[in-house]
Amino acid sequence: MWASIALRLFWRELKRGELWVIAFALFLAVFSVVTLTGITESVRSALSQRSASFIAADLILRSSRPFQQEILDAASEQEVAQAQQMLFDSMLFSTEGMQLVTVKAVTASYPLRGDLVLRQSPRIAEGERGALQTGSLWVEPRLLSLLEVAIGDYVELGASNLMVAGIIETEPDAPLNVFGGNPRVIMYLDDVAATEVVQPGSRIDYRYLFAGAESQLASLQQQLDASLSVHENWQRLDRETAVGAAMERAESFLLLAGLLGIVLAASASAVAANRYRQRHAESVAVIKALGATTTVARKIYCSHLLLVTLFSSVLAMLVGLVLVVFLQQGITLWLNDFEPVFSSRPLFMGVMTSVICAGLFAARPVWQLAAVPAISVLRQLPGWRFDVWHLVTGAIAVWLLMWLFSRQFVLSLLLFAACAIFALLLMGMAALLVKIAKPMAAGQSSALKLALANLRRRLWQNSFQLLTFSMALFLTLLLYFLRAELLEQWQSQIPEGAPNQFLVNISPEELPAIKAFADQHNLELDTFYPMVRGRLTYINDEQLRQRASKEEDDQRVGVGRELNLTWTEQLPKNNRVTAGRWFDENGGQEVSVESELAERLGLQLQDELVFSIGGQVASATVTSIREVDWNSLQPNFFMILSPDVLSDFPASYLSAFYLEGEQGDILNQLNRDFPTIIVLNVDAIIQQVKEIIAQVTVALSGILLLVFAAAVLVLVAQVQATMEQREQELAILRTLGARYVFLRNAMLFEFAALGTLAGVLATVLAEAVLGLLQYRLFEMPFQLNWTLWWIGPGAGLIVVTLLGWWQLRQLLATESAVLMRRAIYS
Amino acid sequence: MQLTEGSLTILTDLNLTIKRGESVAIVGASGSGKSTLLGILAGLDTATEGEVFLAGHALHQLTEDQRAELRASHVGFVFQSFLLLPGLTALENITLPAELAGIRDARKRGLELLDQVGLAERRDFYPTQLSGGEQQRVAIARAFITQPQILFADEPSANLDEQTGQKVEDLLFNLNEQQGTTLVLVTHKTELAERCQQQYLMHHGQLESMAQEQRHVG
Repeated sequence: MWASIALRLFWRELKRGELWVIAFALFLAVFSVVTLTGITESVRSALSQRSASFIAADLILRSSRPFQQEILDAASEQEVAQAQQMLFDSMLFSTEGMQLVTVKAVTASYPLRGDLVLRQSPRIAEGERGALQTGSLWVEPRLLSLLEVAIGDYVELGASNLMVAGIIETEPDAPLNVFGGNPRVIMYLDDVAATEVVQPGSRIDYRYLFAGAESQLASLQQQLDASLSVHENWQRLDRETAVGAAMERAESFLLLAGLLGIVLAASASAVAANRYRQRHAESVAVIKALGATTTVARKIYCSHLLLVTLFSSVLAMLVGLVLVVFLQQGITLWLNDFEPVFSSRPLFMGVMTSVICAGLFAARPVWQLAAVPAISVLRQLPGWRFDVWHLVTGAIAVWLLMWLFSRQFVLSLLLFAACAIFALLLMGMAALLVKIAKPMAAGQSSALKLALANLRRRLWQNSFQLLTFSMALFLTLLLYFLRAELLEQWQSQIPEGAPNQFLVNISPEELPAIKAFADQHNLELDTFYPMVRGRLTYINDEQLRQRASKEEDDQRVGVGRELNLTWTEQLPKNNRVTAGRWFDENGGQEVSVESELAERLGLQLQDELVFSIGGQVASATVTSIREVDWNSLQPNFFMILSPDVLSDFPASYLSAFYLEGEQGDILNQLNRDFPTIIVLNVDAIIQQVKEIIAQVTVALSGILLLVFAAAVLVLVAQVQATMEQREQELAILRTLGARYVFLRNAMLFEFAALGTLAGVLATVLAEAVLGLLQYRLFEMPFQLNWTLWWIGPGAGLIVVTLLGWWQLRQLLATESAVLMRRAIYS
Repeated sequence: MQLTEGSLTILTDLNLTIKRGESVAIVGASGSGKSTLLGILAGLDTATEGEVFLAGHALHQLTEDQRAELRASHVGFVFQSFLLLPGLTALENITLPAELAGIRDARKRGLELLDQVGLAERRDFYPTQLSGGEQQRVAIARAFITQPQILFADEPSANLDEQTGQKVEDLLFNLNEQQGTTLVLVTHKTELAERCQQQYLMHHGQLESMAQEQRHVG
């Protein structure tokens, strides 16, 4: 019996549009969670697939021991794709010359991720693509001129003669080594044994490359962890590289945006659930008066809500999943090598959201609804009351959703606590502001007086309304500005025309010729940085033995124990002195140290450093510690010395320039004209970072749109909640002779005041949180966002007033007789 | 009645017996306690003191749910503001109490009653699509669908114009007569009260019987 009544009520009310606020709020909550999870998963998967291509695999195990059969077997057992690599330095001989090279010997399945492009021609982008084969090797283009060999010639590697099959055009896991290194050679792993270069004690880097599903890799890692020796260690994408950092920020941002979106969507459900209770209270009283027990009323309305939840959730999940699939297809079009991963997580999250929303947001209002006394049919229903328990269950629901979404207990708890504190603060501020509105009304026009009186009269309700308005505006503002900030920071990190080609190993004699070459091809050369390689041997008379320099651990700046030392009078761009002072004109024998290295070595200002440079000794005093932006993809140095220390040492120079994609022949020309200069192309990496930024931008815009929609819904639900009361008041004022213009103005003033207040509160909070997040989460310097101060209150004023007007305009236009009749009947 | 500010006595020293099939009117000024008495008599509310018996059941000893069940089987209501469920059609509003009482042929009875109140054509209309008079006719049909032993009517024509009000009153009394229902009517209209067999005046929470001559003088 109750089931059919519930079903009929649901169907009729749905058709008549009476359930749209609660249905849409639930829809939005489930839809946002499904799409946010889907978007985050897709972008994360795209990013991790992208990052995998930087190491040519999903996971790498590095070892100094020869390949172990049990490790290979374990991988086969887990059915993950695998490849092996050996990396070692060796001399390569041609009939005309010899050169120390870094050899990478690989199995046929290499690379597991990314693309290896080999060309059967001496120049990039020309000739047929080639593949690895026994008895041949592929070389970096500059090696052809260094060894004076042509394609098809034979070179000697250890005991083997191998044919130069062509050049390496793109190598997915090539190290970004701005300071040069040996020219690189790729060969087939099975040919290594015949070369006899691998002897006991040889320094060989053995790498096991794996690729597969995350779960397979995780269980492989778990299985192998137990048997690994000190010689083995796992490698993933280095988070300190520009690409790694960009991805990490993108992931942090997506997570944060998703969480904020969920808070808003959840608030909308909470407000809508309250509204649902208000709207159905009278019907419950009637049903109970007509003979339904509280249990029957509860059954009817619980089923009714269940039907609304089911309807909204199923619809939201369907629409959400379609959007996610659409988005994944979009990414596939964009990134050819992207393999969409369809996980059940968005669906699971959708189901959980609807359960949590219905169970925690709506359960209490519906429970209370059934307790409405039957006598309410004869007496006026009790008015709006602040319900602490609804707030508590709602808060638990928000946190549960945050936890489920982020899967990070501490983060969800922290963010939730922050939101709760803000909510309390806002509530207090809102109550205070509404209260002091009374003296403000003195001497104002009567419409304004009425507006302020309205605000004051519904103090708690308005404080709560102000709280939700502020929260909605705050979260939207926060996301909007973070997104803009993040993009701006990223763009400035890699500005258009930033140098993408580095010239290393330029001898002083070559400087004029290089400058002439640049002029001839209209290339804008960056500063020439002199470079001297030296080893730090003493700190304050203490000889260094085992103390490692940062360079040894960090591939970004090169290999070997020697540091690249430079000298300059000017503090380079992207550098900031954090302690001490930059070089003094009157000073001398000074050194400026990069902050992380200084911390690692325990260096203090005024420490005396001694460097050994080609057998000679140079010393300098630490006069400044510098912070360096390693993400800038610009030449950066750990140690910068004052010119007087190093200018007498023989140096090579480093410079950089920007080259457009289609000017590839200039590089070939440069290689031919200056065979000893190393040209490093970082364009590929810059492009990768830009692609990541572009992907994340699209995802963020989508999320922002969702968050804004949730914010608007919260506002709408709030205004809807006061509709009956407003209608009654309007009926009375109309009957007493209030004119349309007067009432309209009063209403506009009321919403404008609420909107502006909410905007100001949201701005203050957004500014504080932005500062904190920029500093903590994204490691960006704090900046005051002046634009926020007019956009925040302005948006509050306009959005809230317009929404209020849009919802109440029909009510205002209703004839007073109709209003009066409705007021009497209700 | 206990309030946060203290207690408020609405009804005091009140004795009333209504016989089966009798029609009783309770008149009085606004705030005199008419609706409170109606609520207590119908088992919608309970008195803090005293005893109320409805169709042989001691209402004051029943729980809220037991009172609800009693209402479902014995009581019908007509309210001043109609109180139709906005989400249900005219027919569905009429059949609602029958469904709650578990009556099987609710729809058939509902259609008959709709016909009797002259709204057969309007069966699929929603309350907002009906005029005030039509809504009250639906409410009257709803009140009779369970064939209640007793019908409580709270100012049934107060929200209607005189002509429509008159029609609704006629309908109420006709159906009441046909079904032999006990009628308890709360009104401030003397003419309406006069159509009942017994009239009582509610004054400061006390009930006084109104003799014929008293009424004529009043």
